[in-house]
Amino acid sequence: MADDAYIEIRNLYFARGERKIFDGVNMSIPRGRITGIMGPSGTGKTTLLRIIGGQVRPDSGQVLVDGQDVCRMSRDELFELRKNIGMLFQSSALFTDITVYENVAFPLRVHTGLPEDTIRDLVLLKLNAVGLRGARDLFPAELSGGMARRVALARAIALDPKLLMYDEPFTGQDPISMGVLVSLIKNLNLALQTTNLVVSHDIHETASIADKLIIISDGKVIGEGTPEELRRDGSPWVQQFMTGSPDGPVPFHYPADELLYDVLAEVGR
Amino acid sequence: MMAATTTLLRLLGSRALNRLASLGRASLMWLTAISGKPRRGDLGLLGRQIHTIGVLSLVIIVLSAFSIGAVIALQFYTQLARFGAEDAVGLGLALVLLRELGPVVTALLFAGRAGSAITAEIGLMKSTEQLSSMEMMGVDPLHRIVAPRLWAGLLCLPMLTAIFNVVAIYGGMVVAVQWLGSDAGGFWSGMQDTVEVWEDVGKGMIKSVVFALVVTWIAVFQGYDTEPTAEGIGLSTTRTVVMSSVMVLAIDFLLTLGMYGDFR
Repeated sequence: MADDAYIEIRNLYFARGERKIFDGVNMSIPRGRITGIMGPSGTGKTTLLRIIGGQVRPDSGQVLVDGQDVCRMSRDELFELRKNIGMLFQSSALFTDITVYENVAFPLRVHTGLPEDTIRDLVLLKLNAVGLRGARDLFPAELSGGMARRVALARAIALDPKLLMYDEPFTGQDPISMGVLVSLIKNLNLALQTTNLVVSHDIHETASIADKLIIISDGKVIGEGTPEELRRDGSPWVQQFMTGSPDGPVPFHYPADELLYDVLAEVGR
Repeated sequence: MMAATTTLLRLLGSRALNRLASLGRASLMWLTAISGKPRRGDLGLLGRQIHTIGVLSLVIIVLSAFSIGAVIALQFYTQLARFGAEDAVGLGLALVLLRELGPVVTALLFAGRAGSAITAEIGLMKSTEQLSSMEMMGVDPLHRIVAPRLWAGLLCLPMLTAIFNVVAIYGGMVVAVQWLGSDAGGFWSGMQDTVEVWEDVGKGMIKSVVFALVVTWIAVFQGYDTEPTAEGIGLSTTRTVVMSSVMVLAIDFLLTLGMYGDFR
């Protein structure tokens, strides 16, 4: 599996101020599969996607996307690379001044010289794939959160990218749109054979579609494998995450002094 | 005492470094945006910005210009009439407008009307991740969002200034000639004899181009560099108007000093 990796990350270090986000991360994302990256909130999962997309430069390490090191690319090379990447933002990030149709048409218009009727066919096909062909004339402000995310998904797949990155696709969705999204991601992967990277902390949804899971905590990879392997993993870190217990090796509390000291300091004043 | 001094020094130092860093970011943004190769569809983007930045500013420019011209004519007329020099209203009005008030007032109005809108729009696009998602689609927001606004501002402000001058002179003429009854021939011929194409019109336009550069640069950068929160956007918008106004007035003084020199 390692030799057919679409993304290969080696010795990734990244710190924001004093806080270490990634402290020597190594991972490989297999080509054409769905890989879930999981971890508690605030472990830099979104930052990881931004590093892969070249929007954030790490302090050191290699990030190979399809064999090219993202960290050494020029601005122009990065924009070239990103034509092969689709990303679904947590906030959907639709362009609010144009319609659903125009949002999906945007990457096609900018990057291809296709004639208008071909663009129209492509846009309607993509919208049909997410079940929103009928909503093409609406503006983003008129969509519900779940619909907006599906439109964003249609836009992300407009150019048939080789890599699709999902940033917390299930957060804030009602159970029905959640189910719709889960099956959409799975079906898109089967149909387009893209490499999928799903960043999430929704363990059940992600485990149900992922071929491989990688768990990050405290800047390190603490477990990886198929969902089955991870459920049987003996490590207490992995178990805490897979079963969702509030406290364990991964602390519930943000680092702080003992509660007693904090309280007494107030009294002493 | 010692500790307080070092803290103060450190604070001043970090403030200065922050300023320097943001000036660096602003220059980089401006250069990258302005030097981009033109691409298909750029003219359409530019046209839309010329409409929102320029055409939609016309109403406020025309109304202000007319009142300012009228007021100046009124003041000049009452003073000059005491010496029997009512005919000089025309040339005084033209010189004041072409050299100073036209470029300056138009730039100030432009900063309030178009500059603040540019900052708020780009700032909101940033905080809703629209800029970020554009980048991930392989589209450079500096080229797609920033550049058209910079060019549109650079084109529109000098044109708005010219319109301002014409309307203000018309406003002054309405007051001086049609209302107060000074001689139309004197009004126009005084202007014609004194106003010079380069010295008055040309130099005024150069000022306006410099102001356009400064105001659009500030407005776009404040939006692009905003803290992506509600307070952040509010702060950036205010900063655009305040910084542009102060810069326009300060630069105007320096330009006048340099262009018309030898005052003493």
